[in-house]
Amino acid sequence: MAAIELDGVTKRFDDVTAVHDLSFRVEEGEVFGFLGPNGAGKSTTINMILDFVRPTAGSVRALGHDAQEASVAVRRGTGVLPEGFDVYDRLTGREHVEFAMRSKEVDADPDAVLARVGIADAADRAAGGYSKGMAQRLALGMALVGEPDLLILDEPSSGLDPAGAKEMREIVRAEADRGATVFFSSHVLGQVEAICDRVGILREGSLVAQDSIRGLREAVGTDSTLRIRVAGDAIPELDAVEALDGVSSATTDGETVVVSCRDDAKTTVITTLEDQGVTVRDFETSEASLEDLFLAYTGDGAGSDAAAGDDVAADATDAPAGEAADDDTAESEVGP
Amino acid sequence: MTWQAVAHKDFQDAIRSRWLWGLSVLFVGLIGGVPALLYGYYAPEGASASNLFGAAASMPLLGLSLSYSGVLAFVIAFIALVTSHGSIIDERESGTLKLLLSLPHSRLDVVAGKFLGRSAVVALPVLAGFLVAVVALLATSTDVDLSTFLPQVLLTALVAVAFVSLGVGVSASARSNREATVGIFGLYFLLAFLWSLVARGFPALLDAVLRRVPGVDGLANPTVVELRMVVKFLNPLRAYETLVALLYAESTEVGRFLALTTKAGRVEQRTLAQTFCPEGLAQSGGALCANGLSPAYPFYFSEPFVFLVLLAWIAVPAALGYLAFRDVDL
Repeated sequence: MAAIELDGVTKRFDDVTAVHDLSFRVEEGEVFGFLGPNGAGKSTTINMILDFVRPTAGSVRALGHDAQEASVAVRRGTGVLPEGFDVYDRLTGREHVEFAMRSKEVDADPDAVLARVGIADAADRAAGGYSKGMAQRLALGMALVGEPDLLILDEPSSGLDPAGAKEMREIVRAEADRGATVFFSSHVLGQVEAICDRVGILREGSLVAQDSIRGLREAVGTDSTLRIRVAGDAIPELDAVEALDGVSSATTDGETVVVSCRDDAKTTVITTLEDQGVTVRDFETSEASLEDLFLAYTGDGAGSDAAAGDDVAADATDAPAGEAADDDTAESEVGP
Repeated sequence: MTWQAVAHKDFQDAIRSRWLWGLSVLFVGLIGGVPALLYGYYAPEGASASNLFGAAASMPLLGLSLSYSGVLAFVIAFIALVTSHGSIIDERESGTLKLLLSLPHSRLDVVAGKFLGRSAVVALPVLAGFLVAVVALLATSTDVDLSTFLPQVLLTALVAVAFVSLGVGVSASARSNREATVGIFGLYFLLAFLWSLVARGFPALLDAVLRRVPGVDGLANPTVVELRMVVKFLNPLRAYETLVALLYAESTEVGRFLALTTKAGRVEQRTLAQTFCPEGLAQSGGALCANGLSPAYPFYFSEPFVFLVLLAWIAVPAALGYLAFRDVDL
């Protein structure tokens, strides 16, 4: 049984298609990163899994239930951190968690939940006074109530500082270790890389890639960057380096040699330099970031998409508008 | 079903706001304060409390055709609508509904929970008002006739809940807070101030339409008057007033008739008496049917029917709101 299964799902709002013929599976127990620029249709997809919106065509299943017919059963087994939510201003943090417990019909200690998400000291304060990050933590706490089989986190790191984002990743990891399936969306790619078993990249309502990070990296073939600091007196023969198998470029930047190459060519590059009598002081490698991968998938041929990916401030609900423009372009191309 | 959790949360939220306490003060003053004043300062010792609500049930107040229970219903209806009109649409607009529906609640749980939570928010202060009234009456050694007092309390709570249902129903169907506000106060205006026009206009319109059909006569005058009464009964405020009047009516045919037609004019009352006792001599205040027959009321001219109307106002608006809310993309 797949934890989440979409089959040919299309969602149109009025005349705008937010999600187009989307099919994918998330297996039980895996951590699946759902990537894409703002407006790609990530939230719409999540909203269909939760039955906030209904698909125009296709079927959505989660935890073995039809997401529309048996939405309550789906949500009973699912912890959700929604996107664009708000907390109840007058209720305290503890009351929020108690409400989640009453709703899920479980009996547990609300303070333990609040401690786990790091807001135990704000338990008795009205949530209306919480910062965005605290509200995010509170909603995560509510999601964790009842040890759900599936966690759906929509942009979980938004509003969190780097330390908070790290804690969020640790919680996701712990939940996955417990056996929960984690499905989360993000346009911030760094965090995904660290914790995902698999990612799917959504672009303009369609899945353009679906693989492990390693698989994606191989598929795109993006090189690693090797930066080698050398002793000042020797001038390396870069032609010899560039001639090596797997090296695509080599340049010097003062005392640093910058080589762009495949992972397996790194050792050869360094030995080649040392064979020339160059003293290698130290070196560092940086792998192709997921950012590069992401841009490779979402940015090819259309500069506007890369720009959309950077547009962090844009709300996901702006999605249809952006896609409308894209649809129009597509139509005008097809039309004549 | 997790509507209890939703209702609990909603009521908890209301306790935190000053709204619930404000309402309690208002209704304690309005329902509890009036008898305290009347019987504490003005009324003679040993007066019966039912006189307050009973006499006022049909007694014109301040020269207007409004009774004490009528005024009470106007205020309660307004308060109930203010309390409930944002119940669902406000959560939808702010985003708290996403948090709510991330938990395993069905949309029915949400509407039912909101309906119950807000009903409690309005009904409890009303009940507190009546409680203070009883205490005030007992403290002034006034008799309290519980056989009329308790049903009046129940009816007042029911009319409050009916308007909460209307507010929740509109809130569940509206696409924005503005739409809900305009809709709800339009409805209030219609039910509270324009209903006489509707009651007069509907039979007149029907009559005008029928006259245009060849070979069909217009409506006879008694039919027009009867229709007017039926339309009046369909208004929850009028239904409530009528039921309260029936509660305090003399237990004679005349008393019952006068209570049922409490919202009719004198001429209309006479026409109705003639209609229901075809051979009788109608005389409001006197013998209803001169030949001694009991009046032959149609089904829609009876206490159970008017009571059903009030119950329908509790069930139908919230149910319609649910149907709209069930099918909407959030």
